[in-house]
This record gives sequence, structure tokens and C-alpha cells, in this order.
Amino acid sequence: MPTSSRIGALLAALCVGIPVTAVAALPMGPTDSRTAALVHNFWQLVSDVSTLALTPKQAQQPSPTPQAIAPAPEGSAPVNLGDLSKPQDLEAKLRAALRPTDGTTRVTVTDGIARLGAFTIGTDQQMRGHLLVVRGDADVYGHLQGNLVTVDGDVFVHDGGVVVGDILALGGEVRHGEKAEIGGEVRQLRTTTVLAPVTPPAEPPAPSALETVFRRGAGVVGVFLTLCVLGFGLVMFGRPNLEVVSDTVSHSFGRSFITGLLGQILLLPTFGMLVVGLILSVAGILLLPFAVAVYVLLVVVGVVGGYFAVAHAMGETYVRRRMALGAIVGSPNSYRYLLIGLGALAACWLAWAAFGWVPVAGNLIRGVAFLVTWLLGTAGFGAALLSRAGIRENFAGRLLPPEALTDEYLWATPQYGVQAARRPGSRTPTRGL
Amino acid sequence: MRRYLLAIPLMLGAADASAQSMRPFSTFRQWHGETRLAARLEYAAGALRVGAGHADELYRMDLSYDEERFVPLSDFDASGGAVTLGVAAEGRGGVRVVSQNQLRQSAGVAFSPKADLALDVELGAVDGELDLGGLRISELDVSAGASRATVRFSTPNGTRCRSANLRAGAAQLSVLGLGNSRCDRIAFEGGVGKVTLDFGGAWTSNSKVEVTMALGELTLRLPRQVGVSVTLDKFLSSFDPEGLERRGTSYRSSGYEQAARQLDIDISTAGGAVKVEWSGEE
Repeated sequence: MPTSSRIGALLAALCVGIPVTAVAALPMGPTDSRTAALVHNFWQLVSDVSTLALTPKQAQQPSPTPQAIAPAPEGSAPVNLGDLSKPQDLEAKLRAALRPTDGTTRVTVTDGIARLGAFTIGTDQQMRGHLLVVRGDADVYGHLQGNLVTVDGDVFVHDGGVVVGDILALGGEVRHGEKAEIGGEVRQLRTTTVLAPVTPPAEPPAPSALETVFRRGAGVVGVFLTLCVLGFGLVMFGRPNLEVVSDTVSHSFGRSFITGLLGQILLLPTFGMLVVGLILSVAGILLLPFAVAVYVLLVVVGVVGGYFAVAHAMGETYVRRRMALGAIVGSPNSYRYLLIGLGALAACWLAWAAFGWVPVAGNLIRGVAFLVTWLLGTAGFGAALLSRAGIRENFAGRLLPPEALTDEYLWATPQYGVQAARRPGSRTPTRGL
Repeated sequence: MRRYLLAIPLMLGAADASAQSMRPFSTFRQWHGETRLAARLEYAAGALRVGAGHADELYRMDLSYDEERFVPLSDFDASGGAVTLGVAAEGRGGVRVVSQNQLRQSAGVAFSPKADLALDVELGAVDGELDLGGLRISELDVSAGASRATVRFSTPNGTRCRSANLRAGAAQLSVLGLGNSRCDRIAFEGGVGKVTLDFGGAWTSNSKVEVTMALGELTLRLPRQVGVSVTLDKFLSSFDPEGLERRGTSYRSSGYEQAARQLDIDISTAGGAVKVEWSGEE
């Protein structure tokens, strides 16, 4: 017989004998016959070639030696493979159950067994109960009276093989011959993380001091620019009111602060009274949503507007002092006042942004910045209340009548000067006496 | 500059898209001589294709789903001969709308052409194509939410269908080839969408159709070889009875009484628009 024919005949004989060999391999173990060695070498070659097609990660993990998985110690929850309709839930349970303790994997399957590595049910084998196969393929030539689950392995139900229950392949595929019989439902999730090593979620690295400074600085600049936009809008559309509130802060700071403080304390009681009052009056219930919205809006406008008024007052004071010192200011208007004032207020927070990372000083700077902001915000809120949002000028220091507000006060002689009169008893100067 | 500005949201979208992990899931069941199957298909979001499958499989679903937001449904009740398939929202739920392409959960569902199928389909935000040709539909119930779906009877139904109930919310729904459905009774309820009911196909018996349409546009595509009667109950609605003659309270096609097959359509609409189109040779 030629050599090629001999090899062909040998391969054919091997192919015919595959199921029998696979079945026999488990109970019999290795034999010392030459045929068995040939078969072993052949399958080793097939295994090596098939490994080439695996992913690098899979290739790194050698197939475990087929063996039974020992039952979990008492007290551990068993895994129930009776219901495979929710693969995610089962996946989570298996992930917990298959986590190695002391380097070994132990799991208890309710009404079934667990196997590590490839597992085969031979043609003449009948197995009752559920079967869990971990890190290996499950080949069914015989009869399985139960459900079958594989983790990181495929399921092959060969011709003549029977699986009475459901099949679930987690991280694998299910294939079956034309004459194979699967009584239940087949499900497969091609990927799984059941056996992925548990890594604690990585803590995000603490930002460096420079990063912190940059981040906080960007935040402060962002808030500053936002306030600038809002403030310029207020100047554009409500300058008279803003100026009145600003003057109220300048001329009645203490009074404004006290009023703002009381206003903050009374905010919630007032709101409660408003709500209760509207509820008690039958018709008022309908107005309740609108009243609540309006109240919140008024408070926000009062606080923000008051803060802008404080910034305006600060900027105005600063500009006028510079002008008094002879500095030439391009255009002393409300926009400039507001910009300077907001810049000054932002400077507090910029200081915190720059030095906030310093252990003790950082907290102190933040406390000071917060205190200053709250103080000025309270004063602004109080000024807004006192001036009724810039309508009343009682506390704005505008006591002179309008006709007095001319530019003639710049002249040496006042408009309403006191008429000169001779002092009684004084000597009349004589000339040439 | 403008190109860079346009690129920013795309990059942000890409970043989000990378975080979205799609997971493949498959399920099937061998056909063991079952003669009937009650299938409920719940599909919350994504693309869906439904059709006839292999004869040796009772059903099959190949799904790619967003595992962060959805869970696959696959549950067979052997005692009742019923299966629930699809994908349901879990936890945060909702639809991740990053871009048009990122809505792409997808599923292909196939049923055995051997078993009588009572099909109940519930669609959420779905781009669906349901080709029921080649199946044996014994009962049909389709409910489409904010979907764009086409239900098609491309070939005559393999068995007689008791009823077909179709509902559409804010959907764009086309039901094509209703003549092939072999349904004794067809009912449609429409919301605010755009709906096309195509009555083409091989009519084997008379049929009654009830249509209730709220705000929306309904197009009736009628075959010329069938006698058609349309009874309309409308309020603030428009109706274009093209090719129909008024007979009392109803509209009829010419030769309605002599036609071998008769199709009676009752329409109730409030604020909608009903159009009539004709198909087939004159």
C-alpha cells in the first residue's frame, strides 16, 4: 500500500473513531499503545493549530486539565441552573460563585455538577441533572437530562446527542448537528465577564496643584464673565434702578446690611405665609403656582441685582477717588463701574483659586472670600429691599432738590449764597482818617 | 474654523459612542412538531427585522443590544406554547440618542413557517421591518409607539387569520399587502402619525376593516379588483374620496355589488386627513 493511502486510511479510521475515543478518554485515561499515542499526537497537533486562531488573550490561557469542580464550602449559596431565561442574572451569580478563594474555584450546582475544562457526554452515557462547564467546550454525544451551561466555552450537540433542557453559552457558541435534539431553549451570549479578574475601580488620580489652580481659575473667570454679561444687561435696561440701589448701598451700608440680614431670615416664613394664605383663600389656590414662581423670581432678582449694585457702588467709589486724585479716566460710566466692581469681587475668589491648594491658608482664603461675598450680597439684597428695587430714593443720599443738582456747585460762589450783612458794632473803615 | 466647530460635537458624540457597548445575544428553539405558537415580541428601541425562518427552528432571535440600558427577553413557556422575545429597558432605560447611527440596537427575529403564529408585537422607538409573508399568522396584534415601521404581507398568509389589530401612536406606519393577510377582521387605531394601509394582495374572502384615526394622515391604498365601501364618521377632518361614489352615508367603488370580493371600511376620524389611492389595473 502506498504511503499516502496508508495515511488517508489512518485519518479515516481516526475520524470514525472520534466519538468513541472522546468517550473513552475520560474513564480510561492514557494508554501506552502506539495507536493511542498517535491519536494523542494528532489531536495535540489539531489543538496547536486551532490555538493559532485564538485571540492573544485566549492563547495565553492554557486549557485547564478536565476535572470536577469541588463543591463550595458550607454557607456558600449554590448556583441554580434550573432557570436560564435571564442570562444576565445567572451571569452575575456565576461571577460571584466562580471567584477563586485561596486560589481554587469551588462551586455547588443545585441538582447538578460543575466541571472545569472540556467535558464530553459519550454516546452511551446518560446524565441526569444540570451541567456547568467552565473554561472548556461541552460535547454532547449522549443524553443530558437537564440544563447545560458553559462559561468561556462552546457547546456541541452532535448528531444523536440529546439535551432535554435549555442550553446557555456564556462567552461561547452553541452548535448542533442536524440530527441532534435540544428540548429546551438555546441562548448564547458571545462575550462574558464571568471569569474576568476582579479589579477594584481605579481611583482617579488626585489633580496636581497646577491643575487645581487652572481648574478653579477657569471656574472663577467663567462666573465673572457670566456676571459681566448679566450686569451689562442690567445696566442697559435698568440703569436708573441700579444706580438708586447702588447709591443706597453707598450711603446706607449698615442699614442695608441689617435689612438684608433680616430679609434672609424672613424669606422662608414669608414664603410659608404666602402659601398658607393662598391655600386658605379658595380663589388663591389657583394662583399658588404662579405666586410661588413669582416669589422665587423676585428673590433671585433681589439677590443678584443687589450684588450688581454693590459691585457698581465699589467701582464708582474707586473711579471717583482716582479722578479726585487727578487721574484721567476714559469714560466714567456704569459699565466701567460694574466691571471694576465685579473684578474686585472676583479677585477674592481668584486669590482662593491661586492659593486654595495651600493646606491651611487655602481654607482661610476661601472662608474670607465666602464671607466677603455673603456680606456684600446681604448688603446688596438689603439695599434692593430698602429702595424697593431702585424705586425709592429715601436712603440713596439724594436729599438735594433736583434744581440744586446743577454743575454750578463747581463754582466758588454757591448758588444760594448768604447775603452779606454788616456785623453789629463793628467799625466802619474810614479812608484817610 | 467652522469645520473645527462642527467637529467638536462629533468628537463628543464619538466619545459617548465608544462608551456604549453592544453585546451580541442569540436564542433559538428547535421545532419539535409544534403546530402553534403564541409569540410576544417586545422591542423597546433600535432596528428590528421580523420574518420567516428555517423550518427546523420554532423561532430564532439574533440581537445586538446596549447592555448598559437594556436586557434581552427570551422566555419560552412550554405549557402554553408561548414565547416572549425582544429587548426591554432596564434601570435608566430610555433611548441613548447620540447620533442617528448610535441608536443601532438591532435584532433579527424569525419564526417557523410550520407553526400557526399568534403574533403580538409591541414597538417603542423602533425602525422596524416586519415581513410576515411565508408565515402562518393566525392572529396579529401590532402596537407601534414612536416608531417607523412597515408591516408587510409579501406572500399570502399560510393560514386563515382571525383578526389583525394594529395600533400606532406617534408613528409612521405602513401596512402593506393586507389582501394577503387573509384576516377576517382588521382594526386600526391611529394617533398622530402618518399611516398607510395598503389593501393589495390576493383577496380570498370578504373582509371588514375598522379604522379609528385621531390627528394624523391616513392613506388608503385600495385595489381596483375588489369592491370597496367606505363609511366615514369624521369631525374636523378632510376626506378625499377619489374614485368613490357617494351612496347615502357611505362611499362605494363602481361595481361594488358585482365584485367577487368586498372590502368594507369603517373610518372614524377627528382632526385627521384621509386620502384614497388606487392600485392595480383599471
